[in-house]
Amino acid sequence: MEKLDIPQGTLDLMILTILAREPMHGYGISQRLAVLSRDHFHVNPGSLFPSLYRLEQDGKLKAEWRPTENNRRAKYYRLTASGRRQLEQHRERWNRVSFAVTSVLEGA
Amino acid sequence: MTLLHRLASILRWIVRRDRAEKDLHDEVQAFADMAAADRRRGGASATEAQRLAVLDLGGVEQTKERVRASRYGAWLDVVGRDVRYGLRQVRHNPAFSGIAIATLALGIGVNAAMFSVVDAVLIRPLPYADADRLVMIWDDASRTGGKPKFFSTPPEWHEWRRDNTVFTDIAASQPGDAALSGNGEPEELPARKVSGNFWSVLGAQPLLGRVFTEDEDTRGSRVVVISYGLWQRRFGASPDVLGRTITLNDSSYQVIGIMPREFYFMPARDVDIWMPTSFSPAMLNNWGWHDVHCVARLKPGVSLNQAREAMATLSLRLSAQHVPLARSAVVTPLREELAGKTYMSLIVLLGAAGAVLLIACVNLANLLLARGAVRRREVAVRAALGAGPGRLITQFLIESLVLAGLGALAGLALAIPVMRFLETLVPQTMAAVHLTLDWRVLAVSAAIAITAGVTFGLAPAIRGSRLALEEGLRIGGRGSAGTRSYSFQHSLIIAETALAVVLLTIGGLLLQTFEHLSRLDLGIRSDRVLTFVTPLFRYREFEKRVAFVNAELEKIRAIPGVISADAISRIPLTVNDQATYYRLAGQSSNETVEQVALSRVVTRDYFATVGARLREGRFFETSDQRSDAPAAVVNESFADRHFPGRSLLGARLQFGNLSPKGYWYTIVGVVKEIRDRGVAEQLQPTIYRVHEQADQSGDQPSGIVVRTALDPTSIVSAVRQAIWSVDRNQPIARVQTIEDIVTRQLSVPSQNTVLLSAFALLSLLLASIGLYGVLSYAVTQRTNEIGVRLALGARSRDILLSFSRRGLTLTVAGLAIGLVLAAMTARVMRTLFFDFQPDYTAAVAVTSIALLAVGALACFVPARRASRISPMIALQQE
Repeated sequence: MEKLDIPQGTLDLMILTILAREPMHGYGISQRLAVLSRDHFHVNPGSLFPSLYRLEQDGKLKAEWRPTENNRRAKYYRLTASGRRQLEQHRERWNRVSFAVTSVLEGA
Repeated sequence: MTLLHRLASILRWIVRRDRAEKDLHDEVQAFADMAAADRRRGGASATEAQRLAVLDLGGVEQTKERVRASRYGAWLDVVGRDVRYGLRQVRHNPAFSGIAIATLALGIGVNAAMFSVVDAVLIRPLPYADADRLVMIWDDASRTGGKPKFFSTPPEWHEWRRDNTVFTDIAASQPGDAALSGNGEPEELPARKVSGNFWSVLGAQPLLGRVFTEDEDTRGSRVVVISYGLWQRRFGASPDVLGRTITLNDSSYQVIGIMPREFYFMPARDVDIWMPTSFSPAMLNNWGWHDVHCVARLKPGVSLNQAREAMATLSLRLSAQHVPLARSAVVTPLREELAGKTYMSLIVLLGAAGAVLLIACVNLANLLLARGAVRRREVAVRAALGAGPGRLITQFLIESLVLAGLGALAGLALAIPVMRFLETLVPQTMAAVHLTLDWRVLAVSAAIAITAGVTFGLAPAIRGSRLALEEGLRIGGRGSAGTRSYSFQHSLIIAETALAVVLLTIGGLLLQTFEHLSRLDLGIRSDRVLTFVTPLFRYREFEKRVAFVNAELEKIRAIPGVISADAISRIPLTVNDQATYYRLAGQSSNETVEQVALSRVVTRDYFATVGARLREGRFFETSDQRSDAPAAVVNESFADRHFPGRSLLGARLQFGNLSPKGYWYTIVGVVKEIRDRGVAEQLQPTIYRVHEQADQSGDQPSGIVVRTALDPTSIVSAVRQAIWSVDRNQPIARVQTIEDIVTRQLSVPSQNTVLLSAFALLSLLLASIGLYGVLSYAVTQRTNEIGVRLALGARSRDILLSFSRRGLTLTVAGLAIGLVLAAMTARVMRTLFFDFQPDYTAAVAVTSIALLAVGALACFVPARRASRISPMIALQQE
């Protein structure tokens, strides 16, 4: 199936949403994103890691190295309080945007 | 919060770079491994899984690079890389870098040192509260043909203070005498009398004790405030001195306060005693007693110009009621008064230093432009590899900044010795300073370096990046950078030549001024004369005074090595405007208003001792005793004022005391001008009288001049012993030779001259290097074209001429523009010439010849190289 481009600005929102449930490493996030988007989205690590690093630099995420269930070492990201606030704000905005877009499309 | 996080993370990235890099690598690798493991679970072979995983990733290194590039502070990496690259360039091109750094070091060093003086004199806070609101008020009699700015009088201070609307208050300060005796060697201390509100007007607090009040001032209380220096030197810094009684001028005064070390006030930094003015009602009605400094504080919201207008009006109105010729008033900022003549010198020197820096920058810009062409291929490669114009400009600029930074470091090392030399530029009216590389100088140097780096780096950077984009990888980027590039370089050369011409011309004018000053006929023979002051406050009685002066002179004359010794009321060549009213026989009282001359009381052979020369008549003789008809000698200024072109011998005048009881003096001689007020000061009419006949005058012959057969300083202790053998309690002050006085007075003009000449020569050197560089570069660039011309039959002489003409055209253009600018500059800085009219034509001629000679040389060398090019070799270069 052909993959969709991730719309501008929504990658951060999706990362925050995924991490809101539990801390996760980069590979896990990319897998979870594929599953949750029903395989419509596929995020390239070249886009994923820059986003993760920037969110961490902004203090929205905190990272630590931990063993995985398969006994590898991986860097796990978890939401900070500030990240949680940002998630709420962004989700709220996204809901309004998608509601608005849907309304336009259906009303036309 | 977010910002803090970012900064912390940028810092981590810089400080723990290795760890951050390893972290990133491990993370990306872990991603790849996990992806590979998943693929294997999906059935792929190990190698296939690995390959697919890396494919998924889009390359490990590429991913890492994208992370690095997107991080906050990523630009720091870029800068760091460019700085390292810049330093490598410096190492790899030692000749170019050496010239660039040396040029900048000169420019920045000179400016850092100049700034440190300007900072000390013009910028740093004065030791008064809110000093920018403080002004001085002076009399202005220019409307009636008098002096435009001179001391005001006690009644003016008093009435201005009462009637003005623009100042919160006005304080008065007057010269004072303070001969300290008892407890150790007697000495004369620099003193000022100040009004009781002086301290509150300045907003100055004592270090210890208190200052006197207005009430104490008006009551005439005998209280003094002493300087920190006197407290340290004479009283061992003991706080016990407060409340102690000391003997000043044979009267008892109580010490009530000590001023802080940094406190000083006009007219000199070394005042030790501050005593009350205690004006009597008679003094407050003396409209002719011009020796009051008025210092005032502007009311909030009142501007300097408003104060000027208000004071001019007020002064005209008040003086019209009291004196025949009404006088106006001028208001000047205190800071300007304190800086005095140094003000203009500093501005000019700072301008000159700035010009040197500008020339240095222009040269570097040219050097970089030339080098940019050499580096074109390197830049093209970088552009092809994806560096955008912004990126290339950044890189070029950072390279210039690296050069500027290194230049600044070298410049600061250079600045330190220059500062030692400049310290003496701080005027005597201000606190002595020790100039150091403090944070202010460092900050300014850094700012200069950055500005310089950007100034000389920007044009080459833009040019370089544009060339790269235009030309791409076209191999063999030969030929010229286009006529446009030359015209830009040419205007830079013209600009720096013009600046050099300005400095050279001004330098020439200053040199002439200094030459004039140092050759000025002082009117006396300055070699081997010792001078000092013996204050005569203990001999108020005329007879005793005459007896003492004659006695001390007898003792001094008896010292071996002394040729002669005499006394005068004011040591020659020292600024002193002690003036007195006079009336010539036959003048009406209207004519004598504001008619003043300097007054000097001398012993009989004074003129012979100092080596003065006679124009006509005679000097004083043994016959000029007290009983005889009083005789006066006047100077040429006096004679020319009243008796232009005819003899005034035998003319009679009243002097000081103009009442019917006042003596009538007969003029017996005219002395050739003696520079009594200072080497560079204007001459004033002066009247000399012999001290035995000056009992109606307050002038006391306290200044002693001794002509010696040997080094005058070798007899100082013998002189002290001689005087103390007459009076053990006699203070002896200000011991110095006439040559010392002259040297000190010429120090400011001599320093101006030395500095400006140095700047001028430096700028000529830099400008000629610039011209040489550009022409050499042009020759190298056009080797090919020259080869073709020669091959087609041009003679080598034609080539020589064509290149020389080009260089000389630039030189002449720079010269023309420079001369116009110089004429404008010279007009602004007239005060530096001390009323001397330097020969402008000569300065212009010498400058032009020097510039054309140096310019011709700078052109000739590359032009000759061009003419010697062998066509074969030139064409083979292709």
